[in-house]
Amino acid sequence: MNRKVLFVGLILVAPLLVMLASGLRHDPREVISPLIGRPAPEFALLDLEGRRLSLADLRGQPVVVNFWATWCQPCAAENPIFAALARRYAGRVRFISVIYQDTPQAIRAYERQRGSWGPALVDPDSRTAIQFGVYGVPETFLIDAQGLVHEKVTGMVSFDGLTRSLEAML
Amino acid sequence: MNAASKRPRGASILQAICAPMALVAFVALFAPGAIVAQAPGAPAQDPAPLGPPLSGAALDRATEEVASLMRCPVCQGLSVADSPSSSAVDLKAEVRRQLAAGFTGDQVIASFERAYGEFIRLEPKAEGFNWMVWLMPMLAFAVGAILIYFRLRPQRPVARTLPSQEDAKPS
Amino acid sequence: MISILGRSVVLAALLLATLGAVMSFAAAQRGAIAGVARARRLAYLYAVMMALATGLMIYALVSHDFSVSYVAQVGSLATPLHITIVSLWSSLDGSILFWGLVLGTFTAGAAFHLRRSAPDHVGYMLGTLFVVGIFFTFLIAGPADPFAPTPPPIPTDGPGPNPLLQNHPLMIIHPPMLYLGYVGMSVPFAIALAALFAGRLDRDWIRSLRTWLLVPTGFLTMGVMLGGWWSYEVLGWGGYWAWDPVENASFLPWLTAIAAVHSALVLQRKGTLRAWTVVLVVVTFLLTILGTFLTRSGVVNSVHSFTQTPIGPAFLAFLGFCLVASVIVLAMRMDTLASDPDRETLWTREGAFMINNLLLLVFMFTVLVGTLFPIAAELVRGVKVSVGEPYFNRMAIPVSLGLLLLIGIGPALPWGRADNRNVRRALLFPIPAAIAGLLVTFAAGGRTWGVLATGALAAYAVWVNLDQGLRLSRKRREDEPWTEAVGEAVRRGARRYGAYLAHLGVIVTFVAIAVSSSYQTAQEGTLRPGESMTVAGYKLTFERVDARPEPHRISDRALMRIEHNGKDAGTLEPALNRYDTRMEPIGTPAVRTAISHDLYLSLMNVGTDGSIGMRAIVTPAVVWIWIGVFIIVAGTAICLLPAGLRFSRREDAPEPAAKPVAETTA
Repeated sequence: MNRKVLFVGLILVAPLLVMLASGLRHDPREVISPLIGRPAPEFALLDLEGRRLSLADLRGQPVVVNFWATWCQPCAAENPIFAALARRYAGRVRFISVIYQDTPQAIRAYERQRGSWGPALVDPDSRTAIQFGVYGVPETFLIDAQGLVHEKVTGMVSFDGLTRSLEAML
Repeated sequence: MNAASKRPRGASILQAICAPMALVAFVALFAPGAIVAQAPGAPAQDPAPLGPPLSGAALDRATEEVASLMRCPVCQGLSVADSPSSSAVDLKAEVRRQLAAGFTGDQVIASFERAYGEFIRLEPKAEGFNWMVWLMPMLAFAVGAILIYFRLRPQRPVARTLPSQEDAKPS
Repeated sequence: MISILGRSVVLAALLLATLGAVMSFAAAQRGAIAGVARARRLAYLYAVMMALATGLMIYALVSHDFSVSYVAQVGSLATPLHITIVSLWSSLDGSILFWGLVLGTFTAGAAFHLRRSAPDHVGYMLGTLFVVGIFFTFLIAGPADPFAPTPPPIPTDGPGPNPLLQNHPLMIIHPPMLYLGYVGMSVPFAIALAALFAGRLDRDWIRSLRTWLLVPTGFLTMGVMLGGWWSYEVLGWGGYWAWDPVENASFLPWLTAIAAVHSALVLQRKGTLRAWTVVLVVVTFLLTILGTFLTRSGVVNSVHSFTQTPIGPAFLAFLGFCLVASVIVLAMRMDTLASDPDRETLWTREGAFMINNLLLLVFMFTVLVGTLFPIAAELVRGVKVSVGEPYFNRMAIPVSLGLLLLIGIGPALPWGRADNRNVRRALLFPIPAAIAGLLVTFAAGGRTWGVLATGALAAYAVWVNLDQGLRLSRKRREDEPWTEAVGEAVRRGARRYGAYLAHLGVIVTFVAIAVSSSYQTAQEGTLRPGESMTVAGYKLTFERVDARPEPHRISDRALMRIEHNGKDAGTLEPALNRYDTRMEPIGTPAVRTAISHDLYLSLMNVGTDGSIGMRAIVTPAVVWIWIGVFIIVAGTAICLLPAGLRFSRREDAPEPAAKPVAETTA
């Protein structure tokens, strides 16, 4: 038994295995947003009808900002969830969406087919998405009444999860 | 989010485990200040531009250079400079705008980091625990070079003992 | 029906592997020739079972039997036949089945080829291969069962394979090559373990090790290159290597395999580095398992990582078992493999081989650290970090230049001890070539130190390797006719011709990588029909976009008319594909390859107003990367010819013709 080999080998192997095992529990795609707990980036964008909407105007009540596109499958699955929540929290929480890498035409056609649950804002050159650090769609930011980012949901939202978060913010 | 609350305890235990993996871990332990400094600093207010406004070929070059250090958020592992995706094109335009306004490359990347997190940097910042990724290869080279040196050093008459042990020593 | 059949065959294979492992080890321990022969027959039978299972799956795919879950997952009526067959390895479960087939084939091939070797060696080797086989067959039988019946209702059509895999014919050949290399590393690993178990690594077994190391190394070289080529032709960013985790996973074992090929040469020649060679071979195998774990379990972000799957934990357990078992076996048995008493000094061929091993291992370690660091950072700091191209390029350049330097210096150095004067002469002699290389590089426009150094070192290395290679055919006895002399030299020297040819391939690849990565010209533009853009002597005129419906996608093709230096150079059609399955559109670039440079067009977007976003990249010397690797593989194949097959007996004798430098310098 060569103890030196055993010792060196195990010293190399053990941390490697610990590390890989820990890696299994993380989703490599989910990044914790550094914006949480900080003021949400300001934006003033036009919706499909050309009405201007700025985040500053909405201060005083929680805002849900959803980034989406028509080419994104989970976004389509989210649609009924947001519609239901927007109905439930009407007047208490504002639900708005920002269009990500998509055309107003496509969005209009989509909304004619499936309805809309809030203003869909056009984001020229993705500048708002960049300020929010959007990695892909769908991503949803929950902003509290003071304008601080409360939570970021990467990927599809769940009705229950979002309800819990909104209750905590109200 | 709960991962963040669990972190400090786990971190100390795991650092203890990882420490022997490479001596370099001591850098992380010796420099707690650096680790704290990595916690996001001041809120995202725009600081003043520190460099001269760029234009023309210099702006093109600087844009490519900075964009090549940033991860394209919708791609996997490609840089903003390399990716042909339209998201990357938009990010590159933003990089260009900021450079044109006189922000330095570091400032530009830092501004993206405030929104995207450290993940946006394709090259880890050389600070705190991140030193590991830079120093461990060099450490490995140094260790290997020393082992080879002792094996290949000019021969002395006594040096021919215990061949088996010598061989056990990785060269 | 296929489900039941397939599952039975896989279960039978699992049984065979288990039985084979027990029998092999038992027979090896007793040195029982009859027992080893029985184990060998089990190996053949195991290979037959894996082939049968794969055949059943291909039959299910081709007959669109959607009651088999894997077919429902990747099959589709609209997919053309050849893609349907290829979709065997387009998704996780099928790729593991394919892995099993390759492993079975290698097991049977090694069992047959080494049937006359010492029974204990063969027994331990087969036992080890069967243990690896047990794990993969278990995966096919359980966690990654491609034969699982589709839960009802059984669909009448499926989504088809991953669109990225349908885009290019290289996807047909790249994965099999990579698998042959990756899975093939199990054989040298088993041979190395057999040496440890038996406590003996003699001439015969060293030769077997070397042969079975070279075979998968050749395939792996090809597979890695084809992967880069594929990503160049398909992914649309104009590069061929992004240091993506999956690329790194294929590169890691390649580096250690190359190190092992070189140290095995020293072992064969001088009898030293015995245990070290075994360690390298073991590490190579462990890296293939680690790489597979990384890319199949979803722990790292990667272009090609298969989605999160249940096989992650199983793979981690197997990796842990292999790592710990290897360390323990090495610790217990390594001292039995004593090297012949000899000491190397620095300025000898052996010394150069050791530095080569050091650089390759440091390279491997760097890539490994970079690939795993995001996991470590998340664990320790709770923060996601990226380690990407800028890091790897920065680290890889100095190591690569060091290796290029060694390719020049190593072959020039004599084996054994030599006096300083001869060494100095051997090393200084090719300096004019280096200076010429430097000047040529400078004249061709090279200005960065990296490119200039590459030019000088490459010229030095070419000189030395050509010189060494050609020296062999000069050997002729006075009374010997030329034809016989050449025939004899070729026969005797095939291994070194192969080696020097491979070195030349490496140099070509090196230079091509340096040039192509340093002198790329890129241009982006928005074009309306009739408008044109220019890039590096090309004028690109956008004519129109055609939307072509294809199965499962609509392909928007932009017709671009190309003029090069004012002369018509045909048309290119970069495309952007929109898929039924609703994902971001995926581009298919169009490439015009010339001997000196490539024109690479990527369609970035198609506007609603009929304009397009076009990215045009002109990259010099890209094609030479592929050519260089083909040369390396050809060299590897030549190395294998006599040593592995026909002349294996004669190689036993110490090679008299094998000391060209020593002879001239003596």
